[in-house]
This record gives sequence, structure tokens and C-alpha cells, in this order.
Amino acid sequence: MTKFVVFILIFTLIISTSIIKNSTKGIEDEIYTVKENLLFLESRFKDTKLEFDFLSSSEKLMEYQQLYFENSLQIKSLQEIKTLEIYNDEIKIGDLKISGKNDQ
Amino acid sequence: MINNTNRFIPHDNNDEFKYSKNKADLDIKFNRVAFIFFVFFVISVIYSIHLIHLGSRKSDHQNKNPSKIINKLKRADIVDRHGNFLVKTVSSIDIGINPAETINQKKLLLNLGYIFPNKNYELIQSKFKKNKFFWFEKKISDENYEKIMMLGDKSIKSEEKLTRVYPQKNLFSHVIGQIDDNNNGISGLEKSLDEKLKKNKETIQLTVDKNIQFLIRQELIKYNKIFQTKGSAAILMSVNTGEIISIVSLPDFDLNKRVKIVDVNFINRATKGIYEFGSVFKTFTLAAAINEKIIEPETEFVDLPKSLTCAGFPIREYDNKIPSTLTAEQILIRSGNIGSVRIGQKIGQEKYKLFLSKLGIIGGINFDIEEVGIPVKFKWGKCPLATASFGHGITTTLIQLVKAYSIIVNGGFNVDPVLVKKNKKNKKEKILNQDVSKKILPILRKIVSTKEGTANLANINGYEVGGKTGTANKILKGVYSNKKINTFVSVFPITKPKFILAVMLEEPQINKDYIYEYRDGSNFRLKGSPRNTAGWNSVEAAGHIIEKIGPILATKYNEVY
Repeated sequence: MTKFVVFILIFTLIISTSIIKNSTKGIEDEIYTVKENLLFLESRFKDTKLEFDFLSSSEKLMEYQQLYFENSLQIKSLQEIKTLEIYNDEIKIGDLKISGKNDQ
Repeated sequence: MINNTNRFIPHDNNDEFKYSKNKADLDIKFNRVAFIFFVFFVISVIYSIHLIHLGSRKSDHQNKNPSKIINKLKRADIVDRHGNFLVKTVSSIDIGINPAETINQKKLLLNLGYIFPNKNYELIQSKFKKNKFFWFEKKISDENYEKIMMLGDKSIKSEEKLTRVYPQKNLFSHVIGQIDDNNNGISGLEKSLDEKLKKNKETIQLTVDKNIQFLIRQELIKYNKIFQTKGSAAILMSVNTGEIISIVSLPDFDLNKRVKIVDVNFINRATKGIYEFGSVFKTFTLAAAINEKIIEPETEFVDLPKSLTCAGFPIREYDNKIPSTLTAEQILIRSGNIGSVRIGQKIGQEKYKLFLSKLGIIGGINFDIEEVGIPVKFKWGKCPLATASFGHGITTTLIQLVKAYSIIVNGGFNVDPVLVKKNKKNKKEKILNQDVSKKILPILRKIVSTKEGTANLANINGYEVGGKTGTANKILKGVYSNKKINTFVSVFPITKPKFILAVMLEEPQINKDYIYEYRDGSNFRLKGSPRNTAGWNSVEAAGHIIEKIGPILATKYNEVY
């Protein structure tokens, strides 16, 4: 009887191991496919970002400004930039300081 | 007749069969099976070892030049503090042609002419005649690669290569540096981070900001033209963290052109150039005296002479209108040479030397790029102490100057300039007394805000700029020349310093047509610079830089505090 129980136990373990192994193999394949797709997308994202960084580089932006927004974009001095804070439904407008929000 | 009973019958037992389970026989059989298994096992082990060996060994080519193979695999990208690409590795394809394998030369040339209409096909035809492999086009686009491969000619050979692309062109040429054809860094961060760039998959983030860098560079180029300088440099750094937000050295170069830089004028003036900066050292002299509790800003120096003689050489005031009785504070505001000598003498050689080494002024410093100059060894003595007190005869680099000023104004904490962003914050080490910053900062402010000061043109409304000017004669072939090194080290906002901006102009000239707008509220305009001093050129440039970058720093830079 004991031998039979041990045999059944081992047999069940073998069967369950092979089933689990089979299903994990499927998951592994899926993970691999997702990883590969991710790598491809990451590479495409980086290439697109490179293009964006080049086209939005300061030099290019200045070129665009001269081409399209020469009169509409103006340099603002620090005094013209204000801070807006809401305390208990009250709006407080303050001067922007170089020391930053943390120090105000 | 023989009697059977008496007959002797020899008994032969040999033919008798008797079966019994012989244990020894079974052992022999088992041993045979085990032996066969053992033989198979040994054979399989030998094969496994052989396979592992084959799998792990390197090719002869790889053994000869391992770095070349590893180098070609990857090189990490570099981004600025906001994640904008400064360097990006992209794979490119080079196309070569082996004429010996061409099926139909005329047809191939005709097709290539459609894809690449701007190429010189007479030259290509001559290469075909030589019947040797040649590179037809390097770094072709994906679209053209597809087209050329569609031709299906087996003489066309393609090779994938890695290329570094620099979307910001000249902006960070001195910081990023260059790589050679074998993908090895030869200057800048490409050299100092070479191994890291090859091993790392992740991008490397720097502390610099491309927009601020652009604005500073733009202003510096403008003032290089106005004052016809030989070159210039500027550093913007956080005084508390040491993070460099911008570092510009002019002239610079476009990294994408991959030109070999041999002209000495392209030296990194911000880190490699060693200069005498002149009066900016007077701040160190006063700070050292306050740190040693020898004098206070109010300490009075009575009857200061207009000139001194040291080892046969005269030491004079640059401005004869300077009063003969001055407080220590007034000496720094009016940039008095004689007064600074007197303060230096009070401190003494050893203490002053120790103070300068604490600030990292003398001797080299560790920095993220290798192009860092080591100041000329200073021979201390009675006279050298006197001259060093007002910044004469003692050399350093602009980056060290920025470091030293940061320590003086940030409460006396040691700070190391960094270019590569670190996740961990270093523990702050206090190396000066708290008093030093408290007492020096109002004086630096007065240099900019009062009429007696030398840096009024940088008094930008809303930024509380403080700083110190330095005008020094340049040494050429071991002799002092008339050419100048004009420097302005500014700190802002003075009530709680956050940023330090140093601007250095090399060999500026007087501009007779430039119009100065006074920043004292008088709206006074002055045509032409009266003197070739830092107050009339470096300060003007720094003022305009602060005006431009200030709003960005105020709105976006809370995190560097």
C-alpha cells in the first residue's frame, strides 16, 4: 500500500511538473516577445526623441522665432513674471524671486 | 567374463549439468553494463568539455584586438539634467562595392545614379576599373539602404557601424569631447567615462542645462565680437551642490564634423587654461583674515602708501584716487592692492597658504573630465605672499576659482564641481567658519551696488548680484604683456546665495563704439569703454548673461537648492 502511495505521489509530481513547465514555457515565450517588442519600441522612441531634441534645440527654436514669431515672442524680465498662489479661496499675486519658491 | 561388480568404472562428473544462481556471474554482467555506461559517460563528458571549450573560446581576431570588438557593440547616450540628448549612439550603414563580383556594371551604375544622383560617377567608374573593393557611400539612410539592397547585386556589401550624433552641435564640445574611429574616447567625458559608456546600457545624465548653456554661449560670442577677444569662458554652478549648470569655453567646435583639433586656441579655457586672475584673489585674502579672526570688515588700515617696493619691484594702486585710510571692507570694494598686501602680511605665509589649499586654489582638483589644468607651483616667500594677496604671480584655473568662491559664500562648506549627476548627496564638510560668508557677502554686494565698487554694470534689478572683478596682465613667453585676462566672479542672490557665475575674457580690447547703459537707475549712457578692465567688459557680459538666464533660474531651478 505504501509503495502504491509513493508511486502515485511521484507520478502526480512528474505530471504536475511537466504541466507547470509547459505553461511557464508559454509565459517565457510571451515575456521574450514582449521584451523584443519593447526593445524595438524603445529604440524607435529614442530615435524620435533625438529628432525632437534636434528640432527643439535652442538654436533651432531661435531660427523658428525669427521666421514665424519675430514680433509675437518677447523677452520677459524677472519683474514682469509674477507668482500666483491660492490661500483659502483667495488669490495672492507676488513677485518672483531668484531664490525660488522654497525660500519665499 | 568380468564381473560387473568388481569392475572399476571411472566416474566422470564433468558432463553433469547442474543450474544454480551464481552470484559471481551476476556481478560480472552488472559490471559489464556499468562499464559500458561508464565508457559512454566518459565519452559524453569529453564531448561536453569540448563543446564548452568551443563555445567559450574567442576568435583569433578577437584575441588580437578585444577592445575593438567590445567597443563596436555599444556606447551609452548622454543627456542633460532635463533628459535632452547631448549625445546619442545611432547605428549607421556603410555601403561598399566589390567590382569583381559585379554582374552588370553599366546597369548597376545606372541604378545607383537614380538612388544617389549627386555622386561623382566618373570617379566611381575609375574605381570600378581598378577592380578593388571601395566604399561607395557611408552612413546611408534606411530608405536608401532598402533601395540599394533591392538592386540585388551581390557586389554591393553593407556594414553596420555605430555613430555618435550630437544634436546640440557646438554647445557642449569641450565637455563631451571626441571619440576616434575605433569608438574610443579621446577627450572630454567621452574619454574620462570611456569604460562606463561602453559598459553601461543606461544613459548618463549630466548636471548641465542645454538652454542655459545656449544663452550663456550666445552672450559670450556676442561679447567676444564686441571686445575682440582671443577666447572666453564662463561657468555657472550651484554654490551648494557643486552641480555645473553651464560651462562654456570659446572658441568651440561642432562635434558632428569630427575634425581633429590641433589648434591650441581651442583649449578648454574653463578647466584647462591656467591664468593669473588678479584682484579676484583679494576676496580670499580678506576671507582668510576673517576666518583666522585676525581682522573684521570694519578694521581700519591707516596711512596706506600709494606704492610699495618688494624685491626691487614696485607694487602700486591701480587707481591713485584710493584714499590712504581704508577699512578692510573698503579695501575689497575699491580693490586696493596695498591694503590687500597689508592684510596678507597680517595673516602670514603659512596660514594664507593653508587657506588657499583648503579652498582648492593651489594644486589640481579632481573633476569629471581629464582636461584640468594644474596651477603653476607657487614659490612662497615674503614678496610672493605680498603679490599673492592681490592676485599677482599666483595662478589657477577658472573652475578652481568657482569652487573657492562657492565655499566662501555657501557658509564655508566644501563643494566639488560635478558634471555627472549623482543620485546620492555627499555629506557636507564644513571647512571655514560661518562668519566668513556672513561678512564677505555684503561686501561682494557693495562691489556691485555702490559707486565705489568696480562691478556696477552687473547690478541687475531683482537678482541681488554680488561679486568681484579681476584684471590681470597676461604672461607671454615668461614676461608680463599688455594683454589682459579680465574676470568677474558673480554670486546671486546675495541674501541666500544659490548660483555662482564666472566670466573670463582673454585678451579683450577697448571698444570705442559700444554703448554702456548704467544700471544705477540714472539711465545714463556712455559710448566707448574708458578702460580695458574687467569692470568694463567681463562685468558687462556677466550682467547681460544674468539678465537672460535669470528668469529661467527663478522659475525652474528650485531643485538645485
